[in-house]
Amino acid sequence: MPIVPIPRLLPYLLVGLATSQLPAQDSQVLFNRDIRPILSDKCYTCHGPDPGNRKTKLRFDVEAVATSDLGGRYAIVPGDPGKSEMIRRITAENKAMRMPPASSGATLSPHEIDLMRQWVQQGAKWQKHWSFIPPVRPASPVVKNTAWPRNPIDLFILERLERENLSPSQEADKERLIRRASFDLTGLPPTSSEVAEFVKDASPKAYEKVVDRLLASPRYGERMAVRWLDAARYADTNGYQTDAERSMWRWRDWVIGAFNRNMPFDRFTVEQIAGDLLPGATLDQKIATGFNRNHRGNGEGGIIPEEYAVEYVVDRVDTTSTVWLGLTMGCARCHDHKYDPISQKEFYQVYAYFNSIPERGKAFKYGNSPPAIPAPTAPQQLQLNESNQKVSTAARHFAAMKDRIHHAQSAWEKSLAGKPSIHWSPERGLLANFSLDTDNPKLTWDPKGPEFVPGKIQHAAAFDGLRVAGADDIANFDFYDKFTLAAWIFPTSGTGAILTRTEDVPEAMGYGLYLKDGKLQVNLVDRWLDDGARVEANTKLTLNQWHHVAAVYDGTRMAEGIRIYVDGVSQEFTTIVDDVNQTFASKQPFRIGGGGGPENRFHGQIEDARVYQVAITPEEVAMLSDPSPLNQLVAIPADRRALAQSQKLELAFVSHFASKPIRQAWEQLTQSQADREKLMASFPTSMVMQELPAPREAFRLIRGAYDRPGEKVTRSLPAVLPPLPAGASNDRLGLAKWMVDPANPLTARVAVNRFWQMYFGTGIVKTSEDFGSQGEWPSNAALLDWLATEFISTGWDIKAMQKTIVMSATYRQSSRVTPELLQRDPENRLLARGPRLRMSAEMVRDQALSVSGLLVEKLGGPSVKPYQPAGLWKELSGGIDYVQDSGEGLYRRSLYTYWKRASPPPSMMTFDSAGREICTVRETRTNTPLQALTLMNDVTYVEASRALAQRMMTEGGTSPEQRIGFAYRVATAREPSKAQTQILLDGFRFNLDRYQTDRKAAESLLKEGESPLNPKLDASQLAAYTTVASLILNLDATVTIE
Amino acid sequence: MKPIDLTRRHFFSRASTGIGVAALSSLLQNDLGASEGALPGIPHFAPKAKRVIYLFQSGAPSQMELFDHKPKLKQYRSSELPDSIRQGQRLTGMTSTQSSFPVAPSMFEFAQHGNSGAWVSQLMPHTAKIADQLCFVKSMHTEAINHDPAITFFQTGFQIAGRPSIGAWLSYGLGSENKDLPGFVVMVSQGTGNAADQPLYDRLWGSGFLPSKYQGVKFRSVGDPVLFLSDPPGVAKASRSRFIDDLGKLNQLEYEEFGDPETTARIAQYEMAYRMQTSVPELTDISKEPAHTFELYGPDSRKPGTYAANCLLARRLSERGVRFIQLFHRGWDQHNHLPKQIVGQCQDTDQASAALVQDLKERGLLDETLVVWGGEFGRTVYCQGKLTADDYGRDHHPRCFTIWMAGGGIKPGITYGATDDYCYNITENPVDVHDLQATMLHCLGIDHTKLTFKFQGRHFRLTDVHGKVIKGLLA
Repeated sequence: MPIVPIPRLLPYLLVGLATSQLPAQDSQVLFNRDIRPILSDKCYTCHGPDPGNRKTKLRFDVEAVATSDLGGRYAIVPGDPGKSEMIRRITAENKAMRMPPASSGATLSPHEIDLMRQWVQQGAKWQKHWSFIPPVRPASPVVKNTAWPRNPIDLFILERLERENLSPSQEADKERLIRRASFDLTGLPPTSSEVAEFVKDASPKAYEKVVDRLLASPRYGERMAVRWLDAARYADTNGYQTDAERSMWRWRDWVIGAFNRNMPFDRFTVEQIAGDLLPGATLDQKIATGFNRNHRGNGEGGIIPEEYAVEYVVDRVDTTSTVWLGLTMGCARCHDHKYDPISQKEFYQVYAYFNSIPERGKAFKYGNSPPAIPAPTAPQQLQLNESNQKVSTAARHFAAMKDRIHHAQSAWEKSLAGKPSIHWSPERGLLANFSLDTDNPKLTWDPKGPEFVPGKIQHAAAFDGLRVAGADDIANFDFYDKFTLAAWIFPTSGTGAILTRTEDVPEAMGYGLYLKDGKLQVNLVDRWLDDGARVEANTKLTLNQWHHVAAVYDGTRMAEGIRIYVDGVSQEFTTIVDDVNQTFASKQPFRIGGGGGPENRFHGQIEDARVYQVAITPEEVAMLSDPSPLNQLVAIPADRRALAQSQKLELAFVSHFASKPIRQAWEQLTQSQADREKLMASFPTSMVMQELPAPREAFRLIRGAYDRPGEKVTRSLPAVLPPLPAGASNDRLGLAKWMVDPANPLTARVAVNRFWQMYFGTGIVKTSEDFGSQGEWPSNAALLDWLATEFISTGWDIKAMQKTIVMSATYRQSSRVTPELLQRDPENRLLARGPRLRMSAEMVRDQALSVSGLLVEKLGGPSVKPYQPAGLWKELSGGIDYVQDSGEGLYRRSLYTYWKRASPPPSMMTFDSAGREICTVRETRTNTPLQALTLMNDVTYVEASRALAQRMMTEGGTSPEQRIGFAYRVATAREPSKAQTQILLDGFRFNLDRYQTDRKAAESLLKEGESPLNPKLDASQLAAYTTVASLILNLDATVTIE
Repeated sequence: MKPIDLTRRHFFSRASTGIGVAALSSLLQNDLGASEGALPGIPHFAPKAKRVIYLFQSGAPSQMELFDHKPKLKQYRSSELPDSIRQGQRLTGMTSTQSSFPVAPSMFEFAQHGNSGAWVSQLMPHTAKIADQLCFVKSMHTEAINHDPAITFFQTGFQIAGRPSIGAWLSYGLGSENKDLPGFVVMVSQGTGNAADQPLYDRLWGSGFLPSKYQGVKFRSVGDPVLFLSDPPGVAKASRSRFIDDLGKLNQLEYEEFGDPETTARIAQYEMAYRMQTSVPELTDISKEPAHTFELYGPDSRKPGTYAANCLLARRLSERGVRFIQLFHRGWDQHNHLPKQIVGQCQDTDQASAALVQDLKERGLLDETLVVWGGEFGRTVYCQGKLTADDYGRDHHPRCFTIWMAGGGIKPGITYGATDDYCYNITENPVDVHDLQATMLHCLGIDHTKLTFKFQGRHFRLTDVHGKVIKGLLA
């Protein structure tokens, strides 16, 4: 902190500075309010909780030590500043003796020294840090002005104002009040008729009716969700390097729904932290746990997975402790916390609640990383029910035909006797079948033509270590595709490619089934050593005999999603690489007997090569591995047939050889199953928390480094906080319940403080992210505790809490400010006036869409891509660019805008959106020229201006004055004054004049944006009104909630 | 303006995030003229440099091909990297499972240049010519071994996202010298070496937990140079001017009614936006530069969006007092086909980088401008993939790499630090990322331990809790 020269304006300044920090007309110095902030900020680095940095035994965070005998001297002698070494040292003339030392960069102001002296004089009473003492419902303050308060909030505010000799402001005018409440509760402006109705309604309940209506609106959940998404670092991309897409919008919609249904905050908490561990967890409860999967995931090639596995868990601890506890636990990652009583060991004990999920340190570069679940939406769940019904109907229908099929199959089997050989193999999902009996025009042989020899079934192609067959551009599978490769092989050498689609050089990109030193190997490769999957069968194949071999991949991007079969039997295999991180599709042809360079040419024979675009079942593989023609199988007595043989006959019959009704019944069944699979594949997925069967070990990490584990730790909570509630399990679920246990001193305070911040711009504790020693003393501690206890006693009723706040007289005050008041309380911490805040980024845009009539009010769904200048993604990555939506996607509320962390929507960021890379709970507002440029020139606002202008001309009356009044009302809820109207009118005439002379200019302005232009309106008029509308959308009064 | 003045002082005296009041500083910065907006007490001592041009070579250029000459590597060619050199250091997952780590000497020739006798490779002929202006630091090292954390570390002093970038720190600490241009400008270019190279991220010039007004403004070569700078089609300059006036009048009425200083701040921001609509195009219009300028920077400098054109703009920005100008040139991540790719990268950057230093010198600006050239880590001496007669690749190497610095406060014509014969370990005067940041801040008159911002209870610094000024680099 730079040393601040004391400004000459000091006397005024002190008043301004001190609104929350100075005891007002109160000579009692309080440790928590007055002393701890000084000790914490200026002394604790060396004399605080962290032993690593402590220069001496002396510490000021523990009373017993601070007042103990230091060899005849005492740092603090309660009641006697003269004998207290501490007072002597902070006032020492000698610079070398003076504390804090110059090298620390910290200094004490005369006022601070004075406070310390007074405190010692008054007995040096310690207090446990205020936020660690559970809130107790304070008694109602007594106030003089009994007419003003509307609810208990006002008593606390007024009591303080009266002590400061300040009076509350009068109530805001009705227009501003309804506009304020509408934005604060729904994030959108009131419609003109809503304003008019409210203004007309003289009943005492008029305002409450508005509030109830707003709280019941689905827009309320959207508004509340936005700040929660910031806290939860929600985004649509993974956040590191390539920053490719993920899908967490089902979690986002869960949040909106939870607010709209008014889920109590305790349940809201438990489901997000540990919904998966609730007995009989529903899909929604599992989706809710995405809260702690919203952190970034690193899929960059070459990272050390263990390093990032630690980062993810640390992020969960940081985020969870910030959001629920208002604690900066992350500061204890590398060493004991320097200010708060949280040891490094305790940090890792909390860490241990969050590290036992089956996740990977190296995240998938594209898409959701495990664990993720299919997360069908409600309509999709209905579709699934229907689909299930179709399957069971078809299954019942087929089962009902059992006897008929049995008879028919017996007859068919008999009829086969003595017929020529009939070959048949499973056909489901068959993409290509190369029998390799004779020449096939679809195959290109290289370097010489084919040679066919007697094979396993009929004939086989001979491979001599040079020859390879190319099958052109088929089977261009990628990492999300399911597929199967199968063939009969007669290997004469232990190494050679069987079926591949890969570059024809060693260790190249592509996929393939190989024989490598006698073992079957499956490769799905982007980069040989570290980007792909490679699994190898544990047992060698016997050379010089026929085997049926198959490789099945289920599209999960995991090595465990691969199967290797030999002669119909699934093989044990070893995973060599398990990092399918990006596409392994190559531009090469599909090959038989080669691919992967000259050293991988096959030696021996290959027959009946098959490619399926499905992951075939083990049963189907087993059928493939029995090449017997059907008439040979029927010759075996039914009770002597192997299972695969019976199944093959049955499948062949019902799918191929039976009469039409049977085949149709079968087809219906398989088709309904395929339809269901297709439906399920279309479901969005969502990342969730899951618990490993046995907890993963956790260690204190020395200096926080992933590769320097210290002693082992087990799950436990910091000693300064209460223990787990009785009966709670010592796991995430127990932790979640502990968060919302009424004994927890922090959660309710932290939650209501953030609510408060939403309305007043600043929390009662300004440092809404830090309720520890370094956090700011609450501007009104009793009010905070009243709100916290109220929240708990109402059963954590979130809507009720919002209503209590907005119904207060405090909230309803006018935000007009006098120079005196501005000087007394520039940040409006005392609330002698109402809040006046620039809108948040999403409100600025949503308002423009709303007042122009462009807004599409649709709840939830995948994120959308509204207007954004072309090239922003591409210029950072060289890769794909942003593809803007067309139609509806341009006009959805901003919380649905696609959030790419590496390149977030610029107009949102310009208006101080959280970047969504890490948890953000404090709102910030700046005022910059880039904001001006955005509002004037971004097509979003130009189009909104034009659309508003169209409304002016079609709904706003006939005269320019009327139309200007209309637009002004729509945007600000108020009538313009005469002076305002005159300025706008003059501007309109100025522009009308221009656009009447230059119609082309008018037309080009009106072309901006995709929404339809009303052709009936005169272009010059409309363009001139567009500039007026733009001016109105740029007004301070428009972008501010007054 | 009295109450505003008060509030502004209040803001700085508390160094709070100053919801609302934060905005006032920019208002006053305009009213009080150049160089205002600095934190009180800053500079902490007389600065040598007023601004920085940081030529970030994204992807990590190979030190062995460019500046760190290792003649002995020729005799070690193809031999296994000795364990005594590797010392069990961690490698990236891209090569840690390689069965062999063959030494790959540079294919390129080196010679000594200038009075300083600096070794520069044949790939950098123009840089070689200005060797006496440069200070080569051969002993840079970092903790990160992957791009995202490594570049984030260089930019923010921390590997994980969330902290302010160095340019944002400087805007916050030093304010702006120009009331019509942003204090922190970023330009990005795509290298010809490797088109599918490492991506960049907005966070690299983000403001982290500092107010967003300190974030870097990206100047673009296509479309508006600054997003949303141009008026919509059909809106003439006179019309915009009238718009700003009318808006100012309406907002003034609002101020008179409500008394909120935010409103007057907003009036000023619109005026600055309007000025930017002139000042930025004037800045980016290089058509009036004389032919010899383009000759100096090379033919690419006529093509908007190239590294060379960005270098030329960097000079124009520094002439106008922009505090922190940062170029990012992508394409240095050469895991394979390095010999071919690095030629392209050097052709993109060599002439223009050297021209920029020379041009600044000729204009008398070099003394007050700190120029830094470098990437996020180095590259391995062992070959990644197959080592052939004319091809090889190199993986990430955090343990040593070379950057160069020039200009304000930096000792010219020296080489600082040294590495072993394998160019694997530092043998002399290591410089870590925080040291570099501390030294850069020192050149700007800032004690890096005292430029802080309180967030989450901590007084955060660009240099975290580390960093020392490297005196040996200072003039």
